[in-house]
Amino acid sequence: MRRAKIRPLILPGVLALAIIALAVAAPILPLTDPVRQDVASRLTGPSALHWLGQDEYGRDVLSRIIWGARVSLSVAFAAAAAAAVAGTLLGLLGGYFRGVVELLTVRASEIVLCFPPLLLALLVVTLLGPGAATLVLSLAILFAPGFARVAYAETLSARALDYVTAQQALGAPTARILARTLLPNIAPPLIVQFSLTVAAAMLLESGLSFLGLGVVPPSPSWGLMIRGARSAMEQAPLLLFWPCLALTGTVLVLNLFCDRLRDALDPRGRASGKPGFLGRVLALPPAPQTPATPALLSVEGLTLQVPGPKGPVTVVRDVGFTLAPGETLAIVGESGSGKTLTGLAIMGLLPAAVRPVAGRIMLAGRDGTPRDLLRLPEPELRAMRGRDMAMIFQDPSSSLNPLLRVGAQVGESLRAHGVTDGIRDRVVTLLRQVGLPDPERAAVAYPHELSGGQRQRAMIAAAIANHPRLLLADEPTTALDVTVQAQILTLLAELKRAEGGMGMVFVTHNLAVVAEIADRVAVMYAGEVVEEGPAAEVFAAPRHPYTAALIESTPEGDAERLSAIPGAVPQPWAMPSGCRFAPRCAMAEPACTAAAPAMEETGPRRAARCRRWKEVA
Amino acid sequence: MLAFVARRLVISVGLVWAVASLVFLVIHLIPGDPAELLLSQGGIAPDPAAVEELRERLGLNLPLWQQYVSYLGGLLQGDFGLALQDDHPIVDEIALRLPRTLELVGMAGLISVVFGVPLGVAAALRAGGALDRVFSAAAGLALSIPVFVVGTLTVLVLAQQLKLVPAGGYVPFARDPARHMLLLMMPAGTIAVGLGAVVFRVMRSSVLEVLEREHVRAAQARGVAPATIIRRHVLRNALTPVVTVVALHLGSLLGGTVLVEFVFNWPGLSGYLVRSVEARDYPEVMGIVLVISALFVLLNFLVDLLYAVIDPRVRHG
Amino acid sequence: MIAPLIRGEGLTRIFHRRGGFLGRGVPMLALRGVDIAVNRGEAVGVVGESGCGKSTLGRVMLRLMAPSGGRVLFEDRDLATMGGAELRALRRRMQMVFQDPYGSLDPRRSVGAQIADGMAIHGIAQGAEAAERVAALLRQVGLDPTHAQRLPHEFSGGQRQRIAIARALATRPDFIVADEPVSALDVSIQAQVVNLLADLRAELGLALMFISHDLHVVRHLCDRVVVMYLGLVMEEGPAAEIFRAPAHPYTRALLAATPSMHHRAMTAPLAGEVPSIARPPSGCVFRTRCPMAQPACAESIPVLRPLPGADGRQIACRRAEEIAA
Repeated sequence: MRRAKIRPLILPGVLALAIIALAVAAPILPLTDPVRQDVASRLTGPSALHWLGQDEYGRDVLSRIIWGARVSLSVAFAAAAAAAVAGTLLGLLGGYFRGVVELLTVRASEIVLCFPPLLLALLVVTLLGPGAATLVLSLAILFAPGFARVAYAETLSARALDYVTAQQALGAPTARILARTLLPNIAPPLIVQFSLTVAAAMLLESGLSFLGLGVVPPSPSWGLMIRGARSAMEQAPLLLFWPCLALTGTVLVLNLFCDRLRDALDPRGRASGKPGFLGRVLALPPAPQTPATPALLSVEGLTLQVPGPKGPVTVVRDVGFTLAPGETLAIVGESGSGKTLTGLAIMGLLPAAVRPVAGRIMLAGRDGTPRDLLRLPEPELRAMRGRDMAMIFQDPSSSLNPLLRVGAQVGESLRAHGVTDGIRDRVVTLLRQVGLPDPERAAVAYPHELSGGQRQRAMIAAAIANHPRLLLADEPTTALDVTVQAQILTLLAELKRAEGGMGMVFVTHNLAVVAEIADRVAVMYAGEVVEEGPAAEVFAAPRHPYTAALIESTPEGDAERLSAIPGAVPQPWAMPSGCRFAPRCAMAEPACTAAAPAMEETGPRRAARCRRWKEVA
Repeated sequence: MLAFVARRLVISVGLVWAVASLVFLVIHLIPGDPAELLLSQGGIAPDPAAVEELRERLGLNLPLWQQYVSYLGGLLQGDFGLALQDDHPIVDEIALRLPRTLELVGMAGLISVVFGVPLGVAAALRAGGALDRVFSAAAGLALSIPVFVVGTLTVLVLAQQLKLVPAGGYVPFARDPARHMLLLMMPAGTIAVGLGAVVFRVMRSSVLEVLEREHVRAAQARGVAPATIIRRHVLRNALTPVVTVVALHLGSLLGGTVLVEFVFNWPGLSGYLVRSVEARDYPEVMGIVLVISALFVLLNFLVDLLYAVIDPRVRHG
Repeated sequence: MIAPLIRGEGLTRIFHRRGGFLGRGVPMLALRGVDIAVNRGEAVGVVGESGCGKSTLGRVMLRLMAPSGGRVLFEDRDLATMGGAELRALRRRMQMVFQDPYGSLDPRRSVGAQIADGMAIHGIAQGAEAAERVAALLRQVGLDPTHAQRLPHEFSGGQRQRIAIARALATRPDFIVADEPVSALDVSIQAQVVNLLADLRAELGLALMFISHDLHVVRHLCDRVVVMYLGLVMEEGPAAEIFRAPAHPYTRALLAATPSMHHRAMTAPLAGEVPSIARPPSGCVFRTRCPMAQPACAESIPVLRPLPGADGRQIACRRAEEIAA
């Protein structure tokens, strides 16, 4: 666990330890006997001898609160521990073996959950009579199914993970798998559950004691103290205050600790804050005053940053390319190359954490005037999204809202841009245009009723509804089977022909797909475009060593051995100085690491970011 | 959809049966004779003749399976037996008090949702802002205060000190609607403090999570206005986890009524239960626990139906 | 002819999806009678689209999942009739490499400890000897042997896949099932891992069952190819032959649909999508999308039989003769 994640735990952790220490130390602290009565001075206010006053029998309130902590905490911890051991065991066995074992462990224990918790405790108390031992037993019974549920769910998901299967494949005995592989990996949520349970057990214990069915008087207990003080609240309202404060404070500290612990153990970390579309910050330097190239889309010097622990990290640097009407440009690169962020920047849909810091994105809208999308206010940008430019996404099963009918989502594109009449018919026409077999039925279907390829067709229908000038496709076939991929690629090519002049930016990692559909290609590596040009030319004669190596490493043709690129893509916060590809480049020389190379023109509408491009071939 | 409802219904009936059987078993299989237990007072051994007479009256001398059959048979006919203390039919008392508890629970749920849902959405949309911090902190506190502390302090401050409201009690709606509502709002509001905080928290984190989803970005890419996105693509999707969590908390909600009815002298089912527990009137305890548990199962069944209404994927199994 | 190292006979596997009244479940036919054999030192590629049963087949072959019907024989011994201890001992000789380099390593234990697991379980090596072997294995897969103490998250995806391979090699197996081992990797890293697998196979004489949806990789690495669709084998034979002249209409469509850097798509793509395994078509499962389908194709499931005039190739198609002609 990283230090930054532990820091929020310190405050509640220290407070919880202090409360526990106080309770443990009660016998050695110089306290008055908590059960010694002094009826003469009953309901006396705070004094030098009795700091918090005396209760309805004249007992010392401070002493009773500290001794009460002992009772409450020991009952809560004992019950939580017993529940944790029993519940975890049940859940682990049930989740691992499934079938009959699951029925006998997890499902059987869940019957307890059919009872409201306090009621079950009352039932046990009726039968066994009140007392601390009864309390521990009934609370343990109550909370064990919770642990069983958590352990079961965690085991179930961990069990499907490959590293558990790998243990089975290694021939590891079941006990070894359960103890050494599963238990450590399901522990974090169980620890959270434990601290949750301690707090919940304290609440229940105090509730039962308050009803007079928990801890037996005269033992000190916060619930009992509140019960006692309640009857005397007209004369001494302050008496009510102290145990309430102690109880609430302790539960609050435990809950706080638990919340922070959950955040610290959550691998996803906390939510990043305000979502992007609710407001955009436009803190950009003024755009370069050079005239824009007469093109549909031109991206110049685009640079994107994300905040990092040691200052902003540049994830996309000085990216530029142009696209003429009717052209298809493929942005190709490996993971971490910045290709997807570049695409999202064009749409103005960057995640909240990613900030454009330089460059401009000029798009010629439907009226022909180029606008800088990076500097456009959100309402104007929104008017262009789905109308001048549209986007399709990688995973059609998550990019459609599962709760809305497909037709409603396609119609949304029309409605958002002022169409009000005949939406239903136009949606059906669109769905027919993208090749859905039964468009009337598809329009009223929910996304889960369609197959993956059909969903992607529906997404495409929504994107082309307003005849956009630019279609952005972010890995639109990666999640699909290869025969379906071929269908979608064919469909996109047909649509481009039908929508005369529509340009397409196609983001992909697959070179073969690029060769299939693209007129132009921009190859990205580690946040930079390293080569740009006509796709056929670039593939036939690459001018950057990375492009050349990428083509060589693609398993096609009959080469006996693939030529692999050594090493791995550098992380954005640890970029090599000079040329970013130099550490993996077979042609690198000392000068390459000295200074970052600039894009050099290598032919008509062709450029590469390499000092030695002339030697590449 | 029909198959779905039928399946959930069968499961619910099965659960009620399991609960009834468990209550029966717990009473009869734990060590010690219930009759003896009932009659022993303060550790003094009871009169053997009295124990024998009580055993006879309760049918405890019969074989266990016969007792089980007659118990289930009675339940099917709506017969919960007679109370030990005064021989009145338990079912009558339950019928009288159950509506009052339901009223309390319903009002508490309503208040929680009316406040929790909009505030949770507002906090999520301004995550990290002042409003979010204030309400999140308040929710954290509200979750940590035991419900009987909230109730007792409410009585102390509003009734005893400020004398704004009566300290508790009950008036039938027909007799005095205004006073009835006033007396209802205090215990319901007390329960809603914790429940509302739960709803708020889940709604907030659920909205934050949905905002990150791809279909929200896709709607944005179509140029849909933010207000429409939140209404169509965020709120409904964010409701499912809220329903789940509220269902999980139904148990503590129903349990919470025990404490709150006690604090406010609300003559619902729970006060009856406490009295029965104190008197160790086990037929009464069994009956009440059974009714509340069945209610719990029923509410869970309704929650399952609610899922199906929200999410078409559930409907289609 | 030498007996194959491992073979599956008539393997079927049925899953039950929840659904219907009382959740009785809908049967899903993941495997519907598959015969497959892998010889010593041979690399067999299993290809097909999602839902074809290739991953299920891999797990059934290693008995990580019991088949619903049929049997698996390792050196002529039926895995189903073996006792638990005997089967566990046999696991030393057959290993698996998984698709997801992030999910296949335990995030909480050092990679060295995970590589040493198999040696400890099978009593191959312990203590200093095991540490030495771990170092040697790391070197063999191209990693720094001093990194054995590190946790998985300190490695990149390609490196993790190398570690997973080292773990599989630790027990000196004869047979490895690799389930899409390079699908989650970037192209440049993919080539590294494919090369590593090819080298190891040559060095150690491993038999390999290589499951993949990427035809190019399979062609590169495998001697023989099995093409599957909806739980059934459509075609099988020597890799070079199948890629040179695919016979089954499905193999042809699959090859035509696979994008290539060197030529644009040859034919119009196959219509429709893979049907659900809960409702497979009657007769030949491919007939609903097959450009050559006839009414008779709906009548019975075509058996896998030798392709006329081609050595060592088998095809499951009623019209095999017309195709061969």
